[in-house]
Amino acid sequence: MTTTAPARVARRLLGPAVFVAALALWQAWAAHKDSFLVPTVTAVAERAWDVWPTSGFIDQVTATLGRFAAGYVLGAAIGVAAGLVLGSSRAARRAFEPLQEFLGSTPAIAIVPAAIVIFGLGDATRVAVIAFAVCFPVLVSTIEGVRAVSPETRDTARMLHVGPAELILRIYAPAALPSIVAGLRVALAIGLIVTVISEFVVGSGDGVGRYILVQRTLYDAPGVYGGILFLGLLGYVLNRLFVVVERRVLSWHYGAAGESAR
Amino acid sequence: MPAAGIHLHARPVLRADEVTKRYSEDGPAALIDVSFEVAEGELLAVVGPSGCGKTTLLRILSGLARPSEGAVLLGGRPVVRPPREVALVFQDYSRSLFPWLTVVRNVMFPLRAADGARADRVVRAEAALAELGLEGVGRKYPWQLSGGMQQRVAIARALVSRPEILLLDEPFASVDALTRVELQDVLLRVHTELEHRLMTIVHVTHDIDEAVYLADRVLVLSPAPGRVVTTVDVKLPRPRAQTATRSSPDFLAVRNEIHDVIAKQQARRSGGE
Repeated sequence: MTTTAPARVARRLLGPAVFVAALALWQAWAAHKDSFLVPTVTAVAERAWDVWPTSGFIDQVTATLGRFAAGYVLGAAIGVAAGLVLGSSRAARRAFEPLQEFLGSTPAIAIVPAAIVIFGLGDATRVAVIAFAVCFPVLVSTIEGVRAVSPETRDTARMLHVGPAELILRIYAPAALPSIVAGLRVALAIGLIVTVISEFVVGSGDGVGRYILVQRTLYDAPGVYGGILFLGLLGYVLNRLFVVVERRVLSWHYGAAGESAR
Repeated sequence: MPAAGIHLHARPVLRADEVTKRYSEDGPAALIDVSFEVAEGELLAVVGPSGCGKTTLLRILSGLARPSEGAVLLGGRPVVRPPREVALVFQDYSRSLFPWLTVVRNVMFPLRAADGARADRVVRAEAALAELGLEGVGRKYPWQLSGGMQQRVAIARALVSRPEILLLDEPFASVDALTRVELQDVLLRVHTELEHRLMTIVHVTHDIDEAVYLADRVLVLSPAPGRVVTTVDVKLPRPRAQTATRSSPDFLAVRNEIHDVIAKQQARRSGGE
């Protein structure tokens, strides 16, 4: 399909335009409402401009990112490793599938009290809860990815005398990578949500989630909304970074998929 | 016993001995009492209607599947798993090449446990690619090549570890007609030119003309369950050439003979049911 240059520009601007329109709507509503509980966009932006560059706020951001990264990496590593084993062994699947489905259906937030008993009221509990939440989508997509490896690929590996450990690392892992990455991407959003929730519910401590709670007790509505806005931006940026990395790591897959779709 | 024909002088390297295959204990058989020998340096084609168990037979020859009864012997020893001496080329190159590896890394894969420096393995892989007319594509990914070129890569990967026997399962069934002709001649070159000896090849196909054009001997399987109906010697001179060979009276005679055998089989089958 061919399009003119102005049409392309218009299409690219549509998304940002809708975003700006939503902000304008909020601004108009807040101005009309004139309540200190509903700050205007400009009031939120002013507060963010003042607060975000301060070392106090940056410390909160670092704390949130640190525990998110720790929980995400830990959960993803467990999910991929267990998924590769469960995906390649029918016996292991038969043994662990009920347990996996039970744990995977348990809301991560429900394990917080138990985690506090084990890990205490600190970051160990938060990281454990994040890892728990991240682990299962990664586990499920890894298992699916391994199970979808074609019989021809398995036969090829056997003809090339690929041993059991090699089969998992050199054949199943790369063959399942597109599916694993899809799971990692779902887990990214889940991990961020659970990170903030863990800051809400576990002890006192720090983090952007904790900052939002504290500003609420101070009736600082612009501060609360600023914190929310920051988390939204953080999620957006992390997702974008993920897509950039994904495009590089899976370039072979997108190329091949594009070719067969033709 | 199948006729050994002109290959009586050559020593048999691969032997199927009354191979029967059932997929379940008392289920219908896919193959019944299939016996034949492949002589060293021979190019044996296996033809038969679709569903006659050709692929099953090749999987058993390659050690990927076990016969329910009988045995496959390689150099006198029973084949129970894929042997080092045997390489297999699949019909579906898009699933048998590893899409996450570049072309040269695909071809290097069978050498991963070999002694020596990585640089030597790269050289061997590049040489195998060059022998199949693939130069300068090593750094590409399989999907960036045409189907015919991908199948050449798969053949290069099969040859890079210098197997004694090359098995091919309908290797040219997924490419267009012109590419098929091209690949047939590539295979003939592999058979006669690449080593100091002739390569032993078992080539499964449903294309009778292709079988006659390529082979020293054609093994004809019956409709399912597959049995050996006959083996036909192809005494056409080598080197063969697409137009000259295919228009020779001998070619047509052999081809018609096989056609008649298969037609008779199918008539008997539909008459008997």
